[in-house]
Amino acid sequence: MLAPNLSESIVSSADRAPFLLHRGFIGAGAVLLMAALITDYTYYTTALWQWANFSAWLITAGLIVMLVAVVSLLIDFATGHARRLNPASFMLVTAAALLSLVNAFVHSRDAWTSVVPQGILLSVVSTILLVIAGARGWSLAVSRASGDRP
Amino acid sequence: MRTMSLCRIVALISIAATAACSSRAGDPARQYGPDPYLPEPREYLLPPMSVPKAIGWQAGEMPTASAGLTVAALATGLEHPRTLYTLPNGDILVVESNSPGTEPFRPKDFIAGKVKARAGAAATGGNRITLLREADGNGTRELRTVFIDHLHSPYGIVLVGDTLYVANTDAILAFSYTPGMTRITSPGVKLTDLPAGPIDHHWTKSMTASADGSKLYVGVGSNSNITENGMAVEEGRAVIYEVDRSTGAKRIFASGTRNPTSVAFEPHTQQLFAVVNERDEIGPDLVPDYLTSIRQGGFYGWPYSYWGTHVDVRVHPQRPDLVARAIRPDYGLSSHVAPLGLVFSQGQHLSSLFANGAFIGEHGSWDRSPLNGYQVIYVPFVNGRPLGKPIPVVTGFLGRDNETVHGRPVGLALDRSGALLIADDVGNTVWRVSARQAVEPSTTQPESGVP
Repeated sequence: MLAPNLSESIVSSADRAPFLLHRGFIGAGAVLLMAALITDYTYYTTALWQWANFSAWLITAGLIVMLVAVVSLLIDFATGHARRLNPASFMLVTAAALLSLVNAFVHSRDAWTSVVPQGILLSVVSTILLVIAGARGWSLAVSRASGDRP
Repeated sequence: MRTMSLCRIVALISIAATAACSSRAGDPARQYGPDPYLPEPREYLLPPMSVPKAIGWQAGEMPTASAGLTVAALATGLEHPRTLYTLPNGDILVVESNSPGTEPFRPKDFIAGKVKARAGAAATGGNRITLLREADGNGTRELRTVFIDHLHSPYGIVLVGDTLYVANTDAILAFSYTPGMTRITSPGVKLTDLPAGPIDHHWTKSMTASADGSKLYVGVGSNSNITENGMAVEEGRAVIYEVDRSTGAKRIFASGTRNPTSVAFEPHTQQLFAVVNERDEIGPDLVPDYLTSIRQGGFYGWPYSYWGTHVDVRVHPQRPDLVARAIRPDYGLSSHVAPLGLVFSQGQHLSSLFANGAFIGEHGSWDRSPLNGYQVIYVPFVNGRPLGKPIPVVTGFLGRDNETVHGRPVGLALDRSGALLIADDVGNTVWRVSARQAVEPSTTQPESGVP
């Protein structure tokens, strides 16, 4: 068993990446955007309007959280916690967010065609992109500590 | 894997961008009459819109009447006047009203609210009826009183015998009336309920009575543009009811009329007619609003189809059985004109040109560029049917720049002298249009009075 002060000194060393603010917001926004695929699918199978309504709100909320994530990414750079962009993850999430923006407009249509076929198709594609981004750990940047490693 | 996804994204975004290009509307004249031009429906990311800014009328400004007619303000400073009704003694009732208001259901509703506010459509209604008296029929007002107060988004109004019926958004109320009354304080007696909240998307309840006074006919609009609020809330909506005046029992007289904002009987044939506001967001030239005779048991398409059997793919599940029997309306008024007022002419009071036909108040909307409507037109009738091109009667509600709006015509009525009255719910004015005479004192001056 290590003493508490010793454990702290180990964690703050190069063993673990420093805290990146934007990761949590990317994850939260992505969950909202991906949830819209589930509500889209439920609308597709039931034609009950409230599911399409849920999708519209989920996509709108997901985009707002993604906007917060952009700000927090800038903060991560400003505070020096992030060293450089992780291009693959950044492209995945950016593409998913842009598609979701288009999807928000598709979902602003009225009734069936607000979801079928374009809306649900956009939800499928952005969900695939976000799942890959999630598997890569949600981080859009390489942190200073991990980046210092060979 | 990633390369494929990105290719797909680029493809999708370019499709979306093409779809987003706003399309300019064609000549409205192609959509007048029984066989309007109907382009292919389109869906948009952002439907084409053009939102004029409501600026009202400055002192001395007024709409423009066609040749041989003159316009004057009969009352100003009203609270969102919507419908007009002339009592047998010549008193004019002005229903001041607006939507009871609905909470936003979808993210889109926040934007729609801003659009409405800019165009002057979000103003609070007076929820009352004002009485105007111009006893000598010369357009000068002698009296103005609050006739009935504390109503609930009233719209339709009709007198049968000694009973005045007012269609609130949620019920028809009956008030006993004696000629000459200037104020009714007794609460109305409910004749029957009407479909209202929740939502109450199209809130107006237009109303008229049969010639023998036994039945009332009530136009009830849909609870959505095109069923986006679900089918359950459309129960008993987008229909015209027939209400038995003695018992209050009601039945659906005709259906599929998306928003029948004014109902009236043609005076020669006693055939019921309605003006109907059709659906939005499938193009600047779809779907033409219309004037039509209303057949008992008739189905006019909404939501499943428009202009007869043109299927609307936004509705799911579809109903081919209903589409098959959808009636084509009689007369197209062109798209997004928002006809709200309908009154049949009663002879040559205004002009021999307007002796036999219908005046229609076109409120105008923002679902089209260039804007359409914002005028009062006349549709000539022959043998009890609309025939020929519409004639603009009163224009100039829209600013010359096409971006500002002084007023928007709503309900129409004829006063006892046969002059045409127009409720203007952005200018908050009642306009009186009469035949130009050699000597006509005081009618060319806009009224300066405030309540």
